[in-house]
Amino acid sequence: MKPATDPRAQELLLERAMRPLDDREHWELRELGAEDDDSFDLAAAGVALAMTPIEAMPAALADRIAAQAGVASPAASLLPGQMRTLAGVTAPPPSASMTRGAGVAPAQPLATREQPVAPVPEQPSDIDRARERKRSRFAVIAPWLAAAACLVLAVGMWWWTRRDQPGTVVASPSEARQQLLASARDVTTVSWTATADPNAKGASGDVVWSQTEQRGYMRFVGLTPNDPNAFQYQLWIFDKDRDQAFPVDGGVFDVSSTGEVIVPITAKLQVDDATLFAVTIEKPGGVVVSKRERIVVTAARGS
Amino acid sequence: MQPTSKPQATAPSLLARVAEGDAGAVRECIARYGGLVWSIARRFELADAEDAVQEIFLDLWKSAARFDPSVASEATFIAMIARRRLIDRRRTRRRRPSTEQLPEVPTHPADGLQPDATTEARKAARALDQLRPEQRQVIVLSACHGLSHGEISAQTGMPLGTVKAHARRGLMMIRAALLGVQEELP
Repeated sequence: MKPATDPRAQELLLERAMRPLDDREHWELRELGAEDDDSFDLAAAGVALAMTPIEAMPAALADRIAAQAGVASPAASLLPGQMRTLAGVTAPPPSASMTRGAGVAPAQPLATREQPVAPVPEQPSDIDRARERKRSRFAVIAPWLAAAACLVLAVGMWWWTRRDQPGTVVASPSEARQQLLASARDVTTVSWTATADPNAKGASGDVVWSQTEQRGYMRFVGLTPNDPNAFQYQLWIFDKDRDQAFPVDGGVFDVSSTGEVIVPITAKLQVDDATLFAVTIEKPGGVVVSKRERIVVTAARGS
Repeated sequence: MQPTSKPQATAPSLLARVAEGDAGAVRECIARYGGLVWSIARRFELADAEDAVQEIFLDLWKSAARFDPSVASEATFIAMIARRRLIDRRRTRRRRPSTEQLPEVPTHPADGLQPDATTEARKAARALDQLRPEQRQVIVLSACHGLSHGEISAQTGMPLGTVKAHARRGLMMIRAALLGVQEELP
């Protein structure tokens, strides 16, 4: 990185480190060839590092970020009851911090920022006691974990066996979509527009979305079925209030037939003002940020 | 993962692995730097910190390939990504209604640093200690709490022009300390 020497470029870079630049200033910075000079931003980041006491991130939030990225919870590999942080601080276990903003450990001074993630070290004289504590802690929670796993399995099997039976209380995606259309006051329906992608040939359908309920459904007819091992479809929701470079992940899904397929939308973040829905083809499991190489259908609200 | 005797040497590979789509690296990144991102976001946005943190990590996954260990440490790079997103959110997000809930601004940052703090953090702390108290206060309120110059002026009672001058001079000095150069003010 070569620091900018042009006074105006430095002025703009200095401002960028402290406030949002407007479009004209961004353009000016690009024209000056200084857009990639991070030196002022790194200086401000250094101050933030030096002056910010590190608190543990709520475990539920870490889980959401991991889910958003399509990976298992980062807490999954930790010892029971521990949540590691950058500074080696231990935070309460996930069960103690499931509420929004809760579960924050006491603030700690900047410490071992560059240390690899590792179990919290014990003093040699405490090792045996610590092992015993871990064993007894695991012994206490193990039956509960087993019971919880059994309960989840039982509920899942019950739902699976009941889902197609007449009179079941579990609504199908089609029924849920109709219910949303009938009940939500602000529900909007937008038709898909197929692109030139081969998988979109002859595809049609619509997307139903309720802003207040933060849920919706996609309906497809004629979209090419996918092999989940080869690729999957992924929905992206463009929010007027967010950076357009980062649409909200609306969920990964499969299409099993060219007949009518209805898929629930699972937005990973709050969508304040959806302007565009787009479905892309991605690798199995989806991606965090799409390269948008293959867009199959789009639906623009207000178009 | 076992602790190593050379954590500085292993750190840069994490973001490179993230850039390559390594799920384990993504998990490790959340575990290692989640507290840092969360703590920075909490000081910028008390109400919407959780949304902000999720957006920051999205930015981070996309920007991971840009990380250059010869320029900054991972922690500093991630703090930069976090601050940029938090600053950008000001375009569309309503600012907190008042500054009354702001935590107290520390006065001597270097005193609280640990021996293994990042190089940039140590340099920044030393540079901060060289600033006059009112300059340091402006820089910390701007860099760590995301306050605009107007908000800093309202909170501290300093004239707006003085706040701007302190912010510019202070950040220039810290940048010079990090780069190891002496520079003229623009």
